[in-house]
Amino acid sequence: MSTLMNMVMTTSFWYSIIRIASPILFAALAAVVSEKAGLSNIGLEGTMAFSALFGVLFAYWTNSWLVGVIGALIIGALLGLMIGFFAMKLKTDIILCGIAVNLMGGGGTIFLMYLFTGLKGNTASLTTPQMLTPKINIPGLSSIPVLGDIFSGHSILTYLAFLMVFLVWVLLYKTPLALQIRAVGENDHAAESVGIKVLKIQYIALGLGGALAGLGGAYMSMYYSQSFNTGIVAGRGFIALAAQAMGQGEPVGTMFASLLFGLATALGNKMEGMPGFSSYLVAAIPYAVTIIGLILYALSTIKKVKKIKK
Amino acid sequence: MKKFISLLLASVMTVGLLAGCGGGGDTTETAETSGDVYKVCNLVNGNLGDKSFFDSAESGLAELAAAGRIEYQTIEMGATTEDEARWEGVLDEVSASGEYDLIICDTYQMPDYLKNVSEKYPDQKYLIYDDTTYELPNVVNLSYAQNDLGYLVGTFAAAMTTETGVEGINEDAVIGFVGGVDSPVINDFLYGFMVGAQNVNPDIKIDTRYTNSYVDTAKAKELAESMINDNKCDIIWGVAGNSGNGAAEAALETGKAYFIGVDSDQEETFSPELAAITLTSGLKNIGQSLVWFFDEWDAGNEHWGEHILLGMAEGGIGIVTDKNFDAMAPDSVKEAVNAAIEAVANGEVEVPTAIGDETNAAVTMRESLKP
Repeated sequence: MSTLMNMVMTTSFWYSIIRIASPILFAALAAVVSEKAGLSNIGLEGTMAFSALFGVLFAYWTNSWLVGVIGALIIGALLGLMIGFFAMKLKTDIILCGIAVNLMGGGGTIFLMYLFTGLKGNTASLTTPQMLTPKINIPGLSSIPVLGDIFSGHSILTYLAFLMVFLVWVLLYKTPLALQIRAVGENDHAAESVGIKVLKIQYIALGLGGALAGLGGAYMSMYYSQSFNTGIVAGRGFIALAAQAMGQGEPVGTMFASLLFGLATALGNKMEGMPGFSSYLVAAIPYAVTIIGLILYALSTIKKVKKIKK
Repeated sequence: MKKFISLLLASVMTVGLLAGCGGGGDTTETAETSGDVYKVCNLVNGNLGDKSFFDSAESGLAELAAAGRIEYQTIEMGATTEDEARWEGVLDEVSASGEYDLIICDTYQMPDYLKNVSEKYPDQKYLIYDDTTYELPNVVNLSYAQNDLGYLVGTFAAAMTTETGVEGINEDAVIGFVGGVDSPVINDFLYGFMVGAQNVNPDIKIDTRYTNSYVDTAKAKELAESMINDNKCDIIWGVAGNSGNGAAEAALETGKAYFIGVDSDQEETFSPELAAITLTSGLKNIGQSLVWFFDEWDAGNEHWGEHILLGMAEGGIGIVTDKNFDAMAPDSVKEAVNAAIEAVANGEVEVPTAIGDETNAAVTMRESLKP
């Protein structure tokens, strides 16, 4: 146990929690926005996969990470709108649309990667340093011992993820759009009766959500890993859904849920290196934490409901 | 309207399926020669371009075809869940056609399908490489001595990890192993790696962690960073498919470690920055093993129904000794590796295997070597 303590008492451990949480946070915020508008977008995993691929492709074509990130964002938004088109215009079940996007993210990305690059496994041979999002050393903060090592030197996308927590909160509570989104989410017929354009609001929510998930995809392939490979998202889009639920659909709560998942994963990574821990057991830790979190959430909701009934 | 929607959805899903079809069915015609020209069908349960097993097999077949010894067709069946549902069907169809003298399948995902189909067509001959699941009368199983391969890599890594003259190498005798899944095949690599490393330095420490995924590159990166930062690993062997690359990225970004590749020469597949910190790769020469197989067949040695383990002597395995290895390894390390290659090839060294080992000795050893 003392070895574990030694490993946990390092700055690199706390640094890694933020790094692990960031892509989940992006996707979880996407879930927050669409869920507030009453739409369950479970296609985040596939959206991230497409954005991860196109982020790399755009960056490769222009040799600029910025163009790559913007490209990933646009592709994510387009996929969000596409889900909206199928779900709202063509009246298909939005859950099925999400499943379709996730399936496409599995095979479609390989197809497109081959189409554009002739590669089928990963794009590691294309990567140049200009294609990777830069790490930012925050002046002042970076020179503080311990805190500087933990909070400075992250990818620009990491800072963007945490900035987004604030921006999404503003969007959902402090803008004219805020009330409309929440009204549509609570009861779309009531919203419609007072003249809110429900369809438009729903498209905006899905498009914004898609763009956020797109940034998460860019994070995966342009910082976390240095290239795209098939299956790179590896379930983070689904964990994000759990983080959204655990955070009770609120931006700040979702951020803490993502960080909790980051903490559990980072702990697992350290325990893996110690004698006597089975990798199978360790691999289950983040998911066990998620389930425990969901149970606690459910219990607190039940209590609340009971109180109201009384 | 409903029909239209279902049509649209169906077409959306089809895009996923299409992934597997890209570039399928390349036929290679060859000139007739005097000897037997075998007709061969190579079923790839994935896609070419993996710069690994599939490409290696393809290059071996291309070499045979260019020499006029075979005519072959490669069918890329794709690797998604939807594609997988068709693998057995394709295998059955190809077998039913009766056009081929030999049908080649590969690795761990195909044995069950092959078992079903090969029993249905007892006269058809099959070859499956990198698998030993079943023993079937009309199938030859080629497998590769990954424990020997691990021994070579372990010898190299243990000799190299104390060479502080090389930039970035620290004085601690600690090396790392990022595996895909805690399973007999991966642990066979590991077993050889540990035995080889201990042979060089009895006090060596090996940090072994598993990603539990062959595609989660980021996970491998996290694990490798922890190895480098917490335990001062300066050489890490990644045996985890695509996700192994994450270990290379961790080595590059921390600037305190080097990476060793697996299966194919990974220096060739990386960006220049990643290739620069990749010291060598342990090789499974699928292509060479197919050439060896046809040599045997031509010589009248038929191996149907047998499991053949190919090692150093048959050219089934190897270690990259040019490029970075040649440029960076000190002479003493090269000597140690060359001695190990020779010892493995002529059978002086018997490397234990983790496959079929009931005592789980590899796991016990793994735990005892952790830093």
